Amino acid sequence: MVDNKPDGITVKIDKASFHFKKLKAVDELSLDIPTGISFGLLGPNGAGKTTLIRLLAGLLKPKSGGIEVLGQTPSRKTAHLIGYMPQLHSLYSELSVIQNVNFFAQIYGLRNKKQRSQQVEEVIKLIDLWQRRGDSVMNLSGGMKQRASLACAIVHKPPLLLLDEPTVGLDPELRVTFWDYFTSLTRQGTTLIISSHTMDDAAHCDRLAFMRQGKVIAQGSPCELIQATGKPEATLEDAFLHFIRREDINNE
Amino acid sequence: MNSNALTIAGRLMRQLVRDRRTLGLIVIVPLVIMSLIGLSFPDEGILDYIAPALLATLALFFSFLLTGISFLRERSQGTMERLMASPVSRLDVVIGYLFGFFLFALTQTLIVVLFTIYAFGIDFQGDLWQILVFQVMVITGAVTLGIFTSTFARNEFQMVQFIPLIIVPQIFLSGVLWPVEQMPDYLQWLSAVMPLTYAVDGLRDIMLAGESLLDVGFELAVLAGFTVATSILAAITLRRGTAG
Repeated sequence: MVDNKPDGITVKIDKASFHFKKLKAVDELSLDIPTGISFGLLGPNGAGKTTLIRLLAGLLKPKSGGIEVLGQTPSRKTAHLIGYMPQLHSLYSELSVIQNVNFFAQIYGLRNKKQRSQQVEEVIKLIDLWQRRGDSVMNLSGGMKQRASLACAIVHKPPLLLLDEPTVGLDPELRVTFWDYFTSLTRQGTTLIISSHTMDDAAHCDRLAFMRQGKVIAQGSPCELIQATGKPEATLEDAFLHFIRREDINNE
Repeated sequence: MNSNALTIAGRLMRQLVRDRRTLGLIVIVPLVIMSLIGLSFPDEGILDYIAPALLATLALFFSFLLTGISFLRERSQGTMERLMASPVSRLDVVIGYLFGFFLFALTQTLIVVLFTIYAFGIDFQGDLWQILVFQVMVITGAVTLGIFTSTFARNEFQMVQFIPLIIVPQIFLSGVLWPVEQMPDYLQWLSAVMPLTYAVDGLRDIMLAGESLLDVGFELAVLAGFTVATSILAAITLRRGTAG
């Protein structure tokens, strides 16, 4: 599926920084994200998760440092390799589910009508909205909108998916369903980068980066991060607090 | 033409067609406004004289409004962020909008022109088709002006305030109500950079003096230049990084 991954690394971030006026949103951040895993960006609001995702999507350019996605600098040329699900539902509310998904399929270069309608059908069935495909998005529940939004991001089968807080506002049942989708995608070789501030999402990720004030303060698998606290019974929340305290002590 | 622009144009049309109320308003509002204006004129002679200016003004106003608000919604609902992260170019978006709205703006203009001419029995010179072709140039400029302006508005409140800022001065300074030559020099300079000035001049030349499209070539060229300039400016200001 992915050609440009001789080293099995889909995303390479090398001391990338981005600031909004005086606010450092991403601060000399370095990160390598392997191919075919779900990678969680965990941190409180304002930690720089969304800015990092927008940098990877090519919506922002780093003020310094470098970013490579599938061996290339993010730009319009890499756009077809990336599926991007922003925080908002970001759908055309007057259009139906199928019209929304079909529009993004076309925009992402699925020109062949037969192949496009096949992929559109496949993805709408995957997110279980086939029965409601003709309904206007504005008439759907929040969870359904979230599912339709995911469908628009994955319809062109990109090797890299950037999902900005995809599970916000979902009920626990739907959250589990979303993680089932995500797991099936990583099994097919897709790399998922998921931002979240809930530890429930964190537990599902193959690897995690704890973010704070634009920096990665720790990274590893959920197990590794828990082990690093030295307490086997610790939760990921405890692990996050552990690294925050360690960071504070280091800064002092 | 680029297929991405066509895809965007098709999507805009589908959106408007599915929104029945907006579609109805697009047809009814210009008729109501034109009826009120037409009936308020006591003298048919004055109405004959002012009709071309009103047609140009309404074409500019409605096309600007429709596109400006729609483009802003694209940003506020987050779909612009999605578009900017996709392989679509900024110019695709602008051209897509231009084509997508063109049909609706054209329909609106057709209704206004035909209603004004036939319901009020406006006495006009020149060919009807030439009047319509000229109006096409006016609405094209208005659509791109709407897109360009909306890139400066962060929310609906700001956009609504751009409407009086961009449209009202043109109504007062472009010779719609009184001749430009009677205004102070500095205001005449201002009127020279307003597209409505050329729209009103051109349409009056066709409708009142019976001139042809060739005779109003200068006005058409200015309006075409304005369209190209605002399209390019809109594409430049629509930076990928400011999509949110």
